[in-house]
Amino acid sequence: MIFVTIGSLFPFDRMVQLADELAPSMPDETWFAQIGDGKYQPVNIPFARMLPRPEFVNKIDEASVIVAHAGMGSVITAMEKGKPIVLLPRVLEWGEHTTDHQMATARWLADRPGIFVCMDSADFAGTIAAARASGSNGETMQRTAPEPFIARIRDFIGSV
Amino acid sequence: MASGGGHWIQLQRLRPAFADCDLTFVSVYGDYADDVKGHRFYVVSDITRVSLLNIVILIPQLIGILLRERPAVVITTGSMPGLVCIALAKTLFGIKTIWIDSIANCERMSSSGQQARRFADQWLTQWPDLAGGPGGPEYWGAVL
Repeated sequence: MIFVTIGSLFPFDRMVQLADELAPSMPDETWFAQIGDGKYQPVNIPFARMLPRPEFVNKIDEASVIVAHAGMGSVITAMEKGKPIVLLPRVLEWGEHTTDHQMATARWLADRPGIFVCMDSADFAGTIAAARASGSNGETMQRTAPEPFIARIRDFIGSV
Repeated sequence: MASGGGHWIQLQRLRPAFADCDLTFVSVYGDYADDVKGHRFYVVSDITRVSLLNIVILIPQLIGILLRERPAVVITTGSMPGLVCIALAKTLFGIKTIWIDSIANCERMSSSGQQARRFADQWLTQWPDLAGGPGGPEYWGAVL
């Protein structure tokens, strides 16, 4: 199953539409999309506006590939679960976010295993195919920040 | 305190730092309560650059929580609601505050992060390249 999620805040119609238009060409794949307040309603794939958190987590667990904006919530969730993720950064110019920071995030993350960055809508199908072919590397990331960072925060709190 | 999505998830990755503390969590979505079972949890109104007006709801909500909980430290991973929270905590109550700018901001600090300088006892970026300089943010590490 490919799980498409726009994140938690703004709609992302461009990504939902790309997934919806790609789905018929992949008859052996199932899809689910969380579309938020988007105006574009998928016709080829089942969707929800906003899944309650437990259901969202279930969809992530079921998914073989996650497709998302270049938001850290989606990225960290995928890495913690060891799932390949396709990232389509939101573009400020097209009203998809309030700044262009997702472009920088996507460039920074592009070399990480399990992360497949799609900078251009035209590359969407190819990026999905690469993520599907990769499969899960089964390597789940530890769910906590590295200990030295934790220790500094703990020490500060302890000093107050 | 953290707003939705990545801000909240980054805060969750810091949980071992608060393991021995009496904890209260604040965010903007009610179903995040599932992530912090066993701890007090409050939901407040979200604000972004496109929904700034909600600040008239957010401010009394946060003051109420700060009065009730009287925290020793407020730590936030952003975004704008977290900025408002540490601003109130610092200026009204003299509470110690930590701002941790999102790891997503790898080229410059977020605009909320830049404003957070005035209200943060510890003003942190997760990118070493952005740290330092006179009056610049500090780098203590990153959630990844």
